[in-house]
Amino acid sequence: MRAKIPNMPSAAETDTIIRTPKPTDSVMNEMIMETAPSSTPVVIDGEEALRQIEHLRSDDLSLRISAARKLTTISAALGPDRTREELLPFLSDGVDDEDEVLEAIAASLGELIPFVGSTPEKNFSASLLGPLELLLAVEENTVREKAAESAIKVANSLNDEEYRSEFVGMIGRLATKEWFTARIAGCGLIPVAFGRMSNELQSSHLQYFANLCRDDAPMVRRIASRNLGALIYKVAEAMGPSSIADNGPISTTLLDLLELLAGGDQPDSVRLHTTENCVCFGNAMTLLKEKADPNSMDHNEESITTRSNALVKRILPLVVATIDDRSWRVRWTAASKFALVVKAFSSLNDSMDALVPAYEKLLQDPEAEVRTSATLNLAEVAKTGSKVYPVGWLNDDNMDCDDLDNRITIAERLVQRVMTLTEDDSENVRAALAMVATELAPLLGKDITISHLLPPMLLLLRDSTSEVRLNIISSLTLLNDVIGEELLCESLLPAILDLAEDGKWRIRMAVIERMPLLAKQLGKDFFNDKLLELCVGWLGDDISSIREAAAKNLKELTTLLGADWAIENLLPRVKAVMEHPSYLRRTNAVQGIVYMGSAMDVNTTQNEVLPILLEMACDTVPNVRFNVAKGLGVLGPSFNESVYESQITPILDLLNDDPDRDVRYFAGQTGDSLKGVFQKEQ
Amino acid sequence: MSVTTAPAPNNTAATPSGTYNDLEIWLSKLTNGTPLSESEVQQLCNKARETLTLEANVQPVAAPVTVCGDIHGQWHDLMELYRIGGSAPDTNYLFMGDYVDRGYYSVETVSLLVCLKVRYPERVHVLRGNHESRQITQVYGFYDECVRKYGSANVWKMFTDLFDYFPLTALVENQIFCLHGGLSPSVDALDHIRQLDRVQEVPHEGPMCDLLWSDPDDRAGWGISPRGAGFTFGQDVSEQFNARNGLTLVARAHQLVMEGYNWSHEKNVVTIFSAPNYCYRCGNQAAIMEVDERIEKTFLQFDPAPRRGEPHVNRRTPDYFL
Repeated sequence: MRAKIPNMPSAAETDTIIRTPKPTDSVMNEMIMETAPSSTPVVIDGEEALRQIEHLRSDDLSLRISAARKLTTISAALGPDRTREELLPFLSDGVDDEDEVLEAIAASLGELIPFVGSTPEKNFSASLLGPLELLLAVEENTVREKAAESAIKVANSLNDEEYRSEFVGMIGRLATKEWFTARIAGCGLIPVAFGRMSNELQSSHLQYFANLCRDDAPMVRRIASRNLGALIYKVAEAMGPSSIADNGPISTTLLDLLELLAGGDQPDSVRLHTTENCVCFGNAMTLLKEKADPNSMDHNEESITTRSNALVKRILPLVVATIDDRSWRVRWTAASKFALVVKAFSSLNDSMDALVPAYEKLLQDPEAEVRTSATLNLAEVAKTGSKVYPVGWLNDDNMDCDDLDNRITIAERLVQRVMTLTEDDSENVRAALAMVATELAPLLGKDITISHLLPPMLLLLRDSTSEVRLNIISSLTLLNDVIGEELLCESLLPAILDLAEDGKWRIRMAVIERMPLLAKQLGKDFFNDKLLELCVGWLGDDISSIREAAAKNLKELTTLLGADWAIENLLPRVKAVMEHPSYLRRTNAVQGIVYMGSAMDVNTTQNEVLPILLEMACDTVPNVRFNVAKGLGVLGPSFNESVYESQITPILDLLNDDPDRDVRYFAGQTGDSLKGVFQKEQ
Repeated sequence: MSVTTAPAPNNTAATPSGTYNDLEIWLSKLTNGTPLSESEVQQLCNKARETLTLEANVQPVAAPVTVCGDIHGQWHDLMELYRIGGSAPDTNYLFMGDYVDRGYYSVETVSLLVCLKVRYPERVHVLRGNHESRQITQVYGFYDECVRKYGSANVWKMFTDLFDYFPLTALVENQIFCLHGGLSPSVDALDHIRQLDRVQEVPHEGPMCDLLWSDPDDRAGWGISPRGAGFTFGQDVSEQFNARNGLTLVARAHQLVMEGYNWSHEKNVVTIFSAPNYCYRCGNQAAIMEVDERIEKTFLQFDPAPRRGEPHVNRRTPDYFL
């Protein structure tokens, strides 16, 4: 099928086409420099181009795909005229090829802009839109996406006049084509091009878009719905405050469409985009306020606020309706994007009085996935600065008095839901809560945190699901900062001590990671009393990662509580582990004292740690012995030369003669590195 | 070649540090989950063949050592195994075969294990499983994975050629007999195994096939295996074999056990399986067996590694794209 294009260069005509020596010529194998149309030097490999042209016509799919990715190579060799007159028509003829080939062609076409020729009088980039228009109408979604990316690239290289006639013209044709995939492509491109359209084009394309929103095919309406928010924002950006005037396109056309696509008679895949479109609408209103011109009668901030508030009143019911949608996918989308919704509407007065109760409803949704998703947004929603009425405050008696004194922050209102969420049936909801709830603490301040947030957090620490416990213990720092260390000791410590012996090792790990912080806050006495045995006990844990973390922890503790304390309290206990029957425990103990030694002054290390370490060089198991060798490499450089010669060298010599090859290897490594250190000093 | 005796690979002097540069680079690549290039695999397999040629059909292994069962290309879970049991060389390991097939990361898994074997030949031991074979890997995924990741079957060829050299069984401190499958009616004594010529594709029948394919069974004596290769063997067989060879235990892998390990034949046989949530759907725990210097055995069970980048909340994403 590829052979039907007679004008494609064959091997015989190559020399004339690419103006290089014949392929048989030895020069052919070298790279030939030529001036590309964009006047930047491009390396043209004539032989490679020839091969790719052949491949483009090959019957082998993989060859056609790889050639389609290298259209720039072919174009560079053909030159701009033949690219336009032969290559592009050839590509246009081939839109019935396999999707993978088309995808590669669609992507490559965007790269061809410098290769189709441009003179000061005439820019030929628009010629690329020919094949792209065909690709934008094919059935496969990924091909259309790539074609759209390339078309936008091409469009950006055009001047205003060409942009309008060629690119916008093409969009108009796509939007009205008979086959629905072309119309889908039109949905996506109208918002992109809106900003550079003339006034007449803008109104005609708004009309196209409105038709697409009313399209018979639900697939088209779905994509129109997905792009509606972007279009609203673009219209606000392009037309400014006049877009929301009484006869402006947002007030007249676009909000109608938003209401239309949010309607209960639409399929849920169309309604699904309502939340996101409302977010875009909110952002557009914020943008317009920023653009307000204080000197203009119609466009000053006050008039814009008045008008946008009127529009918000129309939109809010749509947002609130998504909360009660019969499709859980729509509610899930609303739940997962609710922080964005709240953010987009936060500057608009009173909207929170409708949105926060709606959000609370999502937190009680019958579907666990919706609740999980909503819960993950808890802190973000609460961070919005606006104030709302307390639950139950708005009733018939005080409906009309808007007294700011009675309002509370969103965080204060939402914290009352936290306790209910800790009792949720779904562990995923509780895990999500455990992940974000402590972020409320800085918003609430100390008192409310203690009275309202702490009790549910304690429940989460003792939750039956390990993921919940892990999430809460990993996020305690924030709580800490707000309520202070004393309260932490009093209220959280018992729960943390329980977790220190949790059956799941990752939870024990999270507790270990908090130990240095606890030690710092609790002080030596308290630490000795409650946590010392735990910290050393972890050196005997069954799980290797826990033992390693416990060993590293010894360094942190030594640094925090001092070398004297470590020698008195840690060392005897670690020494006991070195007599454990398991070589794995002994190995970790060796690593542990090396960590401790690295956090002490040289004399203490030399007197207290080094003798113990050297003793372990005679362990029966090679793994322990080579860890002694490694440890000497860590601690060695800090000692003076006499210690090196009198104590370390003899042991290294011993280990160098070890029957085990790995012990000899690591002893050799340490020996070499220490030799380097001490020879330099001499 | 001679595999009847077991010359321990023993370098007399400490090896100069430069020798291990390649291996150290490969190890750090593989512990990050990056596969080696084709030429690196070639070099690795050449080195590994030299190391494995020297090992015996019944490779003596010193205690302490941690004994592991099937891995099956579950690279993330192998990393979890190291987090549980400790990383090499600090912990000594004996793997009892089935590194490839089923899981999605057979290439990374087998490359890493072979690389560790070459770097630390006395710390890490790898035995042959029934999946370390040309025939089986063409059906259960390793072949396809190699072609997908390298664009050709070359890497599959290199590894399957190398598998021929893997030792068939190991003997921990002359007490614990470790192998992938189980016993064979044509093998009464360990010396029979020592006399096999193991450097070949796993045959369809005979002692070498049985060692990699057999399963213990509740019924006494020898039975026909439902797998179509190897046999089933009863408690009487295990007891006799252990008594005759002065063994205390046969440790083997090859069968999925929900707890990760399973005693059978009145503690004459133990099955160890180290691929948690086998095939990403069986819901089983995995286990490893730590044998300490007094030959005391401790089993450590573990669950699949939490997948990277995934928070500790399951989120069901709605299906937007119909």
